[in-house]
Amino acid sequence: MNDITIVDAPDLTDKRHAFVMREERVGHYAEFRGFFSQAFNLDRIGLTEPGYLQAPSGMVYALVFVGRSGEPFPSGLDLFALPEALEPLDDVVTDRDLWEILCWMIDGVGPPWTRDDLEKTGRVYRIPAVR
Amino acid sequence: MMGDRFKTLPAAARAEWPHQARTVQVNGWRMHYIDEGAADPVLLLHGNPTWGYLWRKTIPALLASGHRVIVPDQIGFGFSEKPVSEHAHNLDSHIANLVSLTRQLDLRDLTVVCHDWGGPTGLSLALKEAARIRALVIMSTWAWPTPPAEFHTRIFPWRMMHAPMVGPYMLGNHAALVGRGTYLSVVGREQFRDEAQSVYEAALPDPASRLLTWTWPRWIPLVASDAAIARFEWLEEELSKTDWPTLIVWGREDEVFDAATFALRFKRMLPHAEGPHMVTGRHFLQEDSGAEIGELICDFLARHQTQEG
Repeated sequence: MNDITIVDAPDLTDKRHAFVMREERVGHYAEFRGFFSQAFNLDRIGLTEPGYLQAPSGMVYALVFVGRSGEPFPSGLDLFALPEALEPLDDVVTDRDLWEILCWMIDGVGPPWTRDDLEKTGRVYRIPAVR
Repeated sequence: MMGDRFKTLPAAARAEWPHQARTVQVNGWRMHYIDEGAADPVLLLHGNPTWGYLWRKTIPALLASGHRVIVPDQIGFGFSEKPVSEHAHNLDSHIANLVSLTRQLDLRDLTVVCHDWGGPTGLSLALKEAARIRALVIMSTWAWPTPPAEFHTRIFPWRMMHAPMVGPYMLGNHAALVGRGTYLSVVGREQFRDEAQSVYEAALPDPASRLLTWTWPRWIPLVASDAAIARFEWLEEELSKTDWPTLIVWGREDEVFDAATFALRFKRMLPHAEGPHMVTGRHFLQEDSGAEIGELICDFLARHQTQEG
């Protein structure tokens, strides 16, 4: 189970796109590209709109997918938080949200990728958000 | 300008790295390197996620023996330029960076000493610039297209740590490789933590600066369709034809590139090679045995100079 939900496009009035993280090779392992493609129906909607996730903190995140000539779509993604326009991000909260998004992603990609292996890896490297 | 960059290093590290900083434009990027001493050149090549500082304990013996020592920071590491797009990095480009450095310095009678990604890049440099090469020294690396080790095929922790999204989070945001990962890959961990860990971390201070720490592992071929397969096939085939004097040095405690698999495979590929000489060390064996490695290289080169002379 996870606490991440896919949500509809939010009202962006008085919000800003706060860059959080970039992944330039979503398809380094093809199953990850497949997961995002299926989760956000990308084969149908292509580049027409980002995907949106709501994290446990309540923050909504935009996943802006990136296409590159000669590569399957999506080739990459930029992750943005959508805070109030002039409000700085809380780094600790954002980090916990990111961890939850990773757990959601690994759950979605599925075996042989497991949340247990993600958490074990996080513990080896002492990632603060790992419970 | 270069002095300003070094001010980010702890004072104790600056004392251990007294060398004049130099830069050269290679293959479109600014490369930092040092070039000390005279006579026959020795090129010391680091890998992921270190920089020339890895060789600080090895350099004094080489200089004292009269060698010229060149130590570059690979593009993306140390005090060299750090391209912020993954697409700026590929294995052939990193090899071409070293070819450019070698040609611009017109290095001849060159000994290439390689570790980690310094192996695939440095050994490919040697094959590309064969007329310039005198000898090879190989440690904790690989040069063939099949997965380097069973470790590299496992999801936990290897494939997970640089998986999509996970890589930029763990190795980028949380510096997992340059921090905890390096610490776990030495024998004398307390000494490493006190003396060197902060130096490596200081050279990669921000998530964007750590890009190559999670993207270079993605160039390790795991399946036949991976991008670097052809380069590694070429490397294995061509390297096995060489007869340059070669020294193999390995860490006794190296659990990732374990000697029984890797050092002995190099020995089978290059049966004329000396070694493997086993020293105290895990993957970053220079941290535990850097001075001893320097002496081994000096003795090896002196023997071959005598034999050739």
